[in-house]
Amino acid sequence: MSVNNNIPQGVPEKKPQKYTRADALHDQMVRLGEIQEVKEPINKKRFAITALIILLIIVALVFVANWRIGVLEDIQLRLSNGEVINELPFDSEYAPIYRLIRLILYVGGGIFLFYALITLLAPKRRKPNRSFWGDLGIYIMLIIIAVAMVFPLVFAVSSSLKPLDELFRFPPRIFPQRPTLDNFSDLFVTLSQSYVPFSRYLLNTVFITVVGTFGHLIIASMAAFVLAKYDFPGGKTFFSIIVTALMFSGYVTGIPNYVIMSRLHMIDTFWAIILPAFAAPIGLFLMKQFMEGLPTALIEAAHLDGAGEFRIFWSIVMPNVKPAWLTMIIFSVQSLWNNSAATVIYSEAKKTLVYALQQIQAGGIARTGQAAAVQVITMIVPILIFVFSQRNILETMASSGLKD
Amino acid sequence: MTSISNEYWAMRKDKIRYGFDKAKRMRVCYLFLLPYAILFFTFFILPICTSIYYSFTYYNILEPPRFVGMQNYVNLFLQDEVFMTAVKNTLVIAVITGPVGYILSFLFAWFINELPKWPRAIAVLVFYAPSIASAYSVFLILFRGDAYGYLNSILLQFGFIDSPRLWLSDPQYILPVIIIAILWMSMGTGFLSFVAGLQGVDKSMYEAGYVDGIRNRWQELYHITLPSMKPMLLFGAVMSITSAFNVCDVPRALAGYPSTDYAARTIVTHLFDYGFSRFEMGYASAIATILFLIMILCNKAIQSLLRKVGT
Repeated sequence: MSVNNNIPQGVPEKKPQKYTRADALHDQMVRLGEIQEVKEPINKKRFAITALIILLIIVALVFVANWRIGVLEDIQLRLSNGEVINELPFDSEYAPIYRLIRLILYVGGGIFLFYALITLLAPKRRKPNRSFWGDLGIYIMLIIIAVAMVFPLVFAVSSSLKPLDELFRFPPRIFPQRPTLDNFSDLFVTLSQSYVPFSRYLLNTVFITVVGTFGHLIIASMAAFVLAKYDFPGGKTFFSIIVTALMFSGYVTGIPNYVIMSRLHMIDTFWAIILPAFAAPIGLFLMKQFMEGLPTALIEAAHLDGAGEFRIFWSIVMPNVKPAWLTMIIFSVQSLWNNSAATVIYSEAKKTLVYALQQIQAGGIARTGQAAAVQVITMIVPILIFVFSQRNILETMASSGLKD
Repeated sequence: MTSISNEYWAMRKDKIRYGFDKAKRMRVCYLFLLPYAILFFTFFILPICTSIYYSFTYYNILEPPRFVGMQNYVNLFLQDEVFMTAVKNTLVIAVITGPVGYILSFLFAWFINELPKWPRAIAVLVFYAPSIASAYSVFLILFRGDAYGYLNSILLQFGFIDSPRLWLSDPQYILPVIIIAILWMSMGTGFLSFVAGLQGVDKSMYEAGYVDGIRNRWQELYHITLPSMKPMLLFGAVMSITSAFNVCDVPRALAGYPSTDYAARTIVTHLFDYGFSRFEMGYASAIATILFLIMILCNKAIQSLLRKVGT
């Protein structure tokens, strides 16, 4: 972060190029004749801007060609209907030429886009053991699979924007032709007419999510801290039980859990969802693995300074594992936000948002549009959270491995 | 002889006393562990134990449980044909989606790892999004049974079929559709763990490997990457076993509940049927116990298999 602090202010100086071990190896390989010297690397930013401008020009030309073709087809139609048109446009005979130009633009644009992507994605210096053709093959495969992965999501979004007649159109199109937000506004109308006001469902879900996540964070972090940093009798055994418990899904434990809840008189209260969420094994597991990476010297130093166990946990360990608690929060929010809790909560006023939305979704053909809107609303929340926290999550997951 | 055994017992005693002393000194650790341990015991360990106990009883919530011995298991295996269908379906789904999903998520994580920073972040999002969004209901529209469904309309237009197929009601097609939907969502927590783990592999190992005569990416994968990824591979295996056997939401949403001819019945949906529709808790507990045993055994087998990787 503070490498360039010694440079006097006001003097614009280029960052010194680091000569890394990879560079040294590369030069060695060039000298030995193992690989060809890479040509002067292109300026990627400038290349990207140029490529973008060229692509925009191509798109604009395609639009113009489409427009002219449309106009000419219209004239053809009117002529064949027997109308008399006084002023024919100058290019009335050029329709086939426009079509040819459009075809060339499509093909050329595609090839150019592909070339630009490959150039931009190519690493500056090829790593050892990587061939150009292998990289190319992998890129092409990744692009194809990525499109296949994204297609259903794009489809979900686009069908929520379609008016009802386009939802039942044959043949169906991927993108809506007259996009509207009607489905969403209809959804809110339906929700506001329901027996229990919409805000109540929302409040229930928010309450469950916030309380459940917060409690889980504190309780599981406390347990993770002692499991990771102290060697006490029974600790290892307890952790290995938790690793096995990663496999218990809510389904296997669902039925006995129901019986236990009813014995504890927790059926039809929020605690039936919140208390099990406090003890979710995945959060404790990730937190413990991440905390093992903390230097033990840090804790010992605090001990020598006379800090108590709780003080160490709260003001030394917790601030240092921020990525892990963000990850915990996200996993917990995800499972609680999507919890329909249909089996443990009966009263309508205590149902969750997802449950209400699923009821609308189950409304049959007439609610197809609203169901698509529901789909988008429920999936957008976790995706957005992930987008903003990807770096922290990946940092935590790096320590997620199960050691023998 | 006696002196040796006396010595042994003295040693054992010492060890136990030492353990107790240590526990006493570390009692604050137990204090930290206590809240979690109580909740974990109540909602994860106790259910498993009571589930095993109830599986030997007849229990319908209203009356107290009545001990019936192995009757539930006998009925399950000898009389319940639907359960056999469920086991068969679950095994088909697990055997296909488990290994394929696991291998694919590792391969894609490995390919993505080669990309520069920003394309990598986007690629991770694209591959992980289906599993967090859990938007499997989209497949209801894509595979809709009438001509407005996507697949049907494409096949109709190209003339492969002459009338729309009922992808989600025809027993012939239900299982493949469900498998596709599950595979689509299989890049989950394990995938993230792989991506993160690959970032952490020591770069100098690859250079050393190059100097030592590794000549292509596959050799590099086998000799360097896989051995250093072993912890993540074990974690990913646990995750994919869990998701491969606990198939419930996808078949319920796509094929309906109950599905035509029980073609999409899995062990978990069978469990739900007996547990929450018929309230035969004893019988449902027997199903849960069997599922649990299958998963534990599978996990043990895969862990021992993975320990051999790259060594």
